[in-house]
Amino acid sequence: MIDSLLWWVTSPLDYAFMRRALVACLALSLTAPILGVLLMLRGMSLMGEALSHAILPGVAVAFMLAGFSLPLMMLGGVAAGLVTVATASSVTLFSGLKEDAAMASLFLVAMAAGVMIISLSGSALDLGHVLFGSVLAVDGRTLLLVCLVSSLVLVGLAISFRALVMECLDPQFLTLQGRHAGWIHGLFMCLVVLSLVVGFQSLGTLMAAGLMLLPAATARYWSRRLEGMIAIAIGWAVTCSITGLLVSYHAGLPTGPTIVLLTGAGYALSVLVGPCNGMLSRLRTPHRVLSHEKR
Amino acid sequence: MEQEANSRLQLHNLQLAQANRTVLEHVDGRFRDGAITALVGANGTGKSTLIQGVMGMLKPVAGRVACSVPRERRAWLPQQLALDLTFPMSVEELVMTGSWPSHGALTGYCAHHYRRGREVMARLGISHLAHRPLGELSGGQRQRALIGRTLMQEAELLLLDEPFANVDSETVDVLMTVLRDMAASGATLIVVLHDMEQLSRLADEVVVLANGHAHWTSPQAILEGQAPIAGTARLTLGIPGVSTC
Repeated sequence: MIDSLLWWVTSPLDYAFMRRALVACLALSLTAPILGVLLMLRGMSLMGEALSHAILPGVAVAFMLAGFSLPLMMLGGVAAGLVTVATASSVTLFSGLKEDAAMASLFLVAMAAGVMIISLSGSALDLGHVLFGSVLAVDGRTLLLVCLVSSLVLVGLAISFRALVMECLDPQFLTLQGRHAGWIHGLFMCLVVLSLVVGFQSLGTLMAAGLMLLPAATARYWSRRLEGMIAIAIGWAVTCSITGLLVSYHAGLPTGPTIVLLTGAGYALSVLVGPCNGMLSRLRTPHRVLSHEKR
Repeated sequence: MEQEANSRLQLHNLQLAQANRTVLEHVDGRFRDGAITALVGANGTGKSTLIQGVMGMLKPVAGRVACSVPRERRAWLPQQLALDLTFPMSVEELVMTGSWPSHGALTGYCAHHYRRGREVMARLGISHLAHRPLGELSGGQRQRALIGRTLMQEAELLLLDEPFANVDSETVDVLMTVLRDMAASGATLIVVLHDMEQLSRLADEVVVLANGHAHWTSPQAILEGQAPIAGTARLTLGIPGVSTC
């Protein structure tokens, strides 16, 4: 039993492409959930999802110019994501349109433009790779880039974490101290774009935010503390990445959707049985009696 | 000059506008260090606008605000809080954030910060709530925690917009004591008030806002009905001798 389990876990790692895929997924799982938790606490989860689609035109232009080159497609994605964030912020600043509305309009146009460019310059198979990911196609050079960008995101988060938390908790307090909440928000969005571009390798532009948002939403049902949420989100993302990779290998399933479906299953379970506001815990907890403690 | 020497916050011919409409003009005056100045006036007379102008959140149309208090020592408790109460943070963590502006974004808290945080919470009577999430606090408990943050910040200029609204009487007493102590240690406090009893207990000076202008006066003058104050403000403050018709 143990031997067969050991074989089930280790045999895929005989192949170099599986080892590279595993490292790429782990790099994503160690960074994206932290951003996901901060996005969720800001009520911006859907913005993250929209942004993941907005990187498509950059990926498509790189694809058109250089073919299926993952490093160039990543750079294109970063450029398109940053342009979208800057444009959405400018539209909000100068026209008063809310940022989510500006982003929703832009990501639809970006998505359509991206699909159009790829369709005109490649085959349907290429479009499938870009939309749904191709983690098994990650080569050594791309893996290095993925790890480099993930490390950059992690360092950026470590440096700006306190400011990001404060901007999320009380932007007025931050502004009053002379720290421009707008700049910190901009930095945060840049980190999200970088992380989404890493995610695009594994999960495609359609599901790049999967390992960012679903583990974060899951963690909210298991912890009331920020550190707890982040640890649980990372733990769940790592578990789903490894399990998803192995399941997809043995069952012959597409890797990206398998990973996202596993994280989704964890989310559904958490909604039901999570100790923090899960449905069962709500049913079990009696109405709180007014305490007599000092107000 | 002698008077100006003990004032770190002065307004010089200040004109403030909201949405291109002038709310206050020709505001000249100074806020005394170590004193609590009550800001009174009817709704719409520009109390919040003046606070925004003083805190540098609203650019003056004309004139200037001369403030020598460094930014990290300025604190503002607005009526409409931008604080996200659903954020997973405890009372102790919120209080501790007050020390962040002075010790920077990268340095961690040391034992001194934690000791001071515990002292501040004990002073405000919220030690037993240290680990409680913000979302589970009552209005009074939240207000104590926010004042705790300004104490951690060692604020030298504190602006409070109706700090006692929806707060129980015990909390009002605790907060008044703490604010008095802050003033006694040299801080400049400006408090928007609507309650005459609170004004008489707390204020050393009063600024009345009416008809787009600010008038400096004393609490005694307000109590005796001598200050130039608009009818609606008098009614809100419960000043005697004004008809309700």
